[in-house]
Amino acid sequence: MSDTPTTGGATPIEPVVHPGPASGSAASSGSKRRLFSGFRQQPLLPEAGAAGAPLTAVLAVISSLAALALAAFVVIANAAADWTAELDASLTVQVKGVDQEEIAARTDIAVDVLRATPGIEDVTVTASPEAAKLLEPWLGKGNADSLNVPALIEIRGSQDLRENLNDLEARLDAASPGLILDDHGDWNRRLTSAARSGQALAFGIFALIMGAASAIAIFAARAGLAANAEIVALLHLVGATDDYIAAQVQRRFFIIGLRGAFVGLLIAIFAIGLLALAARARGATEFFLPSIEFSLDLILPMLIVPLAVCLATAVTARLTVLRSLRRQY
Amino acid sequence: MIVGFDKVSLSYGDDRQVLQDLSFTLNDGEFRFLTGPSGAGKTSLLKMIYLGHKPSGGRLTLFGEDVTNAPREALPPLRRRIGVVFQEFRLLDHLTAFENVALPLRVAGVNHSQYREDVRELLNWVGLGDRVDAYPATLSGGEKQRVALARALVSKPDLILADEPTGNVDPSMGEKIMKLFVELNRLGSAVIVATHDLHLVKALGKPALTIQNGTLVPADYSGFVSTPGSAKASASVGRTKGVSPTSSIRPPTNQRPR
Repeated sequence: MSDTPTTGGATPIEPVVHPGPASGSAASSGSKRRLFSGFRQQPLLPEAGAAGAPLTAVLAVISSLAALALAAFVVIANAAADWTAELDASLTVQVKGVDQEEIAARTDIAVDVLRATPGIEDVTVTASPEAAKLLEPWLGKGNADSLNVPALIEIRGSQDLRENLNDLEARLDAASPGLILDDHGDWNRRLTSAARSGQALAFGIFALIMGAASAIAIFAARAGLAANAEIVALLHLVGATDDYIAAQVQRRFFIIGLRGAFVGLLIAIFAIGLLALAARARGATEFFLPSIEFSLDLILPMLIVPLAVCLATAVTARLTVLRSLRRQY
Repeated sequence: MIVGFDKVSLSYGDDRQVLQDLSFTLNDGEFRFLTGPSGAGKTSLLKMIYLGHKPSGGRLTLFGEDVTNAPREALPPLRRRIGVVFQEFRLLDHLTAFENVALPLRVAGVNHSQYREDVRELLNWVGLGDRVDAYPATLSGGEKQRVALARALVSKPDLILADEPTGNVDPSMGEKIMKLFVELNRLGSAVIVATHDLHLVKALGKPALTIQNGTLVPADYSGFVSTPGSAKASASVGRTKGVSPTSSIRPPTNQRPR
């Protein structure tokens, strides 16, 4: 390669540049080139170093786990809401007695009392033999028949009714012994607390994973800085501020984070899709197994994940860089 | 006063004292050579001036500000007023010649559209108009030298430092580069050129600081320390350049009709 450029034919590094047609043509070819260069500026810190493909892959894995944890959080929340809503809407009266006749008689009395109570919209009776059938899966066929299983009266009523349960209880007590009003409170509370623990667990996992993403960003930012130490030193010498250099690193990590997080999100959505298909193939939404539906309700919260991963990695990288730059002159 | 050294010393790490008790000043518009045998500490001295290394003792003044204990945040604005041609160029390999030259402006937050013309003009001027989009790996030593030179000049610094700028070029190119520094000095910038080529120093007849074993020593030839004549000459030229880094590059616009 020659030291002497062909442009303009003028001797290089001569303070006095001779104007002429040659330098004019150089200017016009320059303007032509200008159309193609300079739209996108090269990042100042190159792709090499610890950041890049491996970091993208790790963040993808982490993001998919985070998205699944978040999905679990949403699924449990939805399921708990379904259960409690169902139980909240109804009350049950258990009718006990020494034999079937007594149970039936007391059932009739109870139904009369209930029908006369304002605010009750619907009364459904499950007589003792039918209630016994419900126990068959646990006790075996025919085994519950001799137990004089209490009859169940399910009541659907207004909110007023729920608030005046003591009145109703008193009236039932007065009408007949053996009538027990159950508002499912116990059951409800247990379900709610179980659901809350599940949610807390899911959220804890999500938070831990975010912490892992930040830790990885710290390592990667440090390694990246070390790999680009020469460049960082030069940037300082030409007048770059710490903030400027940190912004360069931050931008790169944001982009890498975004890339990784979206790949991870796609993996998670794919996994949930498979679960939803499997659930549908089993044919039922079984009790206690929360139904997974492939819906926007589920997917939208998961979009938080790429955002959170980007922010966690970018902010961490920025802080890491600023901290280590402060040690330099 | 552009640069003031008051009993400045420098040691790297443990006890290795590189420079001891250096005192000198460089005034507005002054030109100084910095000579001495290899390893005498020329590069180390320049390094302290361009704020690449903190002095370990004494007082260092830049542009009238005491920077000896200046906080980090105060350094970037000062560094932007200094253009450095590093001995080993220190071009960024992943950036084109254009982007390398534009780096000081980009880092200072100047918009790309504002410096595009200037950078191209400057590259034309150093004879690299057709290598604008070339990467350093494809440039020859002399071409890299000129990219580094253009990068040092692009922000129109008040102080230009050059470390062995003729070390990688043939003698005639070396002479041209030296004349360029003299010309830039005539146009207002203070200049320090480190070189071990005493012929060039003598040929240009500019004052020189000589450094030996880490201390400044008297020169072994005439016209050595800051002759009054040169100071007067630079004062009469005055400072002709604009303040804004976005106005067009000084030497070409001053020299070339468009």
